[in-house]
Amino acid sequence: MSGIGFDRDEELVLVAGEYVLGTLPRDEAARVALEAADDPRLAGAIADWERQLLPLASLAPTADPPADLWPRIEASAYGDGSVGVLRPRRRPQGAAGVGFWRGVAAAGFLLAAGIAGIAILSRQPVTGPLPMQLATLSPIGARPAAFVIEAQPDGALSVRPVSPETVPAGRDLELWSLPAGAKAPHPLGVLPAAGLHLAAGAIPAGRVQILVSLEPKGGSPTGLPTGPVLYGGAIVRAE
Amino acid sequence: MSAHVSFRFGPIIETTSPFPGNIATFAARLLGSRQSMDDRDGQVVPGQPDVGSLLRRCAEGDRGAFRRLYELQSPRLYGLALRLMQQPALASDAVHDAFIQVWQRSARFDPARGAAEAWLTSLVRYRAIDILRRRAREQYGLEREDEPDPSPDIVQQLGERADGEALRRCLGTLDEGQRRVVLLAFMDGLSHSELATRLQAPLGTVKSWVRRALLGLRRCLEA
Repeated sequence: MSGIGFDRDEELVLVAGEYVLGTLPRDEAARVALEAADDPRLAGAIADWERQLLPLASLAPTADPPADLWPRIEASAYGDGSVGVLRPRRRPQGAAGVGFWRGVAAAGFLLAAGIAGIAILSRQPVTGPLPMQLATLSPIGARPAAFVIEAQPDGALSVRPVSPETVPAGRDLELWSLPAGAKAPHPLGVLPAAGLHLAAGAIPAGRVQILVSLEPKGGSPTGLPTGPVLYGGAIVRAE
Repeated sequence: MSAHVSFRFGPIIETTSPFPGNIATFAARLLGSRQSMDDRDGQVVPGQPDVGSLLRRCAEGDRGAFRRLYELQSPRLYGLALRLMQQPALASDAVHDAFIQVWQRSARFDPARGAAEAWLTSLVRYRAIDILRRRAREQYGLEREDEPDPSPDIVQQLGERADGEALRRCLGTLDEGQRRVVLLAFMDGLSHSELATRLQAPLGTVKSWVRRALLGLRRCLEA
C-alpha cells in the first residue's frame, strides 16, 4: 500500500532525500513519515540519507542548552498521569456488527517503524455478544501492548488502554485514522484515560491505520499530529 | 499475546503482511545487530559509554543512562537546533520533544539502519523542522530573517571529520545552486518555498535543484 505511489526506486530515493533535507511542506513531510511506518523500503531510504548527511549536522557549533531544559525533560518523561487498566466490558447483545471489522497482520511494517502491533484476522463474521478484539497498539520492545481496539456487537469500535500508560503532565494522547492512500491523518479526538468509543461510521471502509500521538493538552492545535506518533496498528473494515 | 487474543476466535489466522520478511526475521536482525551496535557506532570514548549502549539502557528504563545521554549529546543537539531555529526557546522545545521521544521510543532505535548519533540527530531535526513549519503557517506572511548563506568554507570543514570527507568531495561535484539548496535546507531548515524566496528562483526550479542535488550526491556517495 502506498498513498504516494512510488513506482521507481529513484522516486523513492528522492522523496526520502527531500524528507531528510526537510524541504517538504509540513503535511507532505507528515505523510512521508507515516508512509515510512508502513513501508520498510522507504524507511530504509530515509535511514540511508540520515546516515549520509549526518556529517553536515556537525557543522553547527555546539551550544550549552539552558539549565532548565533537563529538569523540563525529566518532568515530561517521568511525570505522573498514569492511567489505570480497564477490564473488558460486556455489552448487551445487539445487531451483529463486528463481522466487517478486520485486524490486519502488518507486523512487518509496524516493527519496521518501531510500532508493534499484534493483528488478528478473522475470516468469518463473529457474532457473539462479547466485544471482538481486533488489534493491539503497542510500542516495540519489552513494554506491553498499550491499547486494544475492539469491535462492539453493534459495529462500533472501542479503543481502550490495556496497560498503565504514562502521559506527561500537560499533554494528551490523540487518536488518528489514516486510510490507505490518504494524504493526511484524520483526528478522532483526544484519547481519555478510560478509552474512547467510536461510532461504526467514524472509520471509513478499507484498510485504515489507527495511530496515537502525543499532543499538547486538549489535542493537536493544527488538525495534524504535532508530537511523536507513539502507537499504531491497522484495521480493515470490509466493504 | 497473540495466543491470549486468538483463543476467542478459533480458526483465525491469516497473515497478509504485504511486506517482505516477517516478524521472526526482523526480530533476528534486530537482535543480531543489537549485539554489534557498539562496534557500529565506532565512537567509543574510553571511560564513556557509547551512545548506542546508552540508548539500549534507556529502552530498559534506565534513568541514569538517559541523563548521561543528555549530558553527552545535548550540546551537539541543542547547537544543531539553535542553528536551525535561531531562537533559544524554540531550540529548547525541539530538544525537549526529541528527548521525550528518545525516552519513549528508544526501543525503536534500529541499529541495523544506522548509527545512534544519526538517529538522535534526525529526531531533533525533524522536530525542529516541524516546529518551524508550524510557526510559518501560524505566522503567515512573516518572513524569517535571512541569515547569511552557509559560507563555502563550511563545506571544507567537513573534510576535518573522518566521516565527512566523502560528503565534502561529493558536495564539490554539485553546481553552485544545487550545493546551496542542500546546505540551506539542511543547516537552516528552509522549505522548498523558503528556498525559492531566498534564492529568488521559481519554486519549480528550486525543487528541481534539490532533486538533482540529491541524485548527484547519491551517485557520488555510492560510487
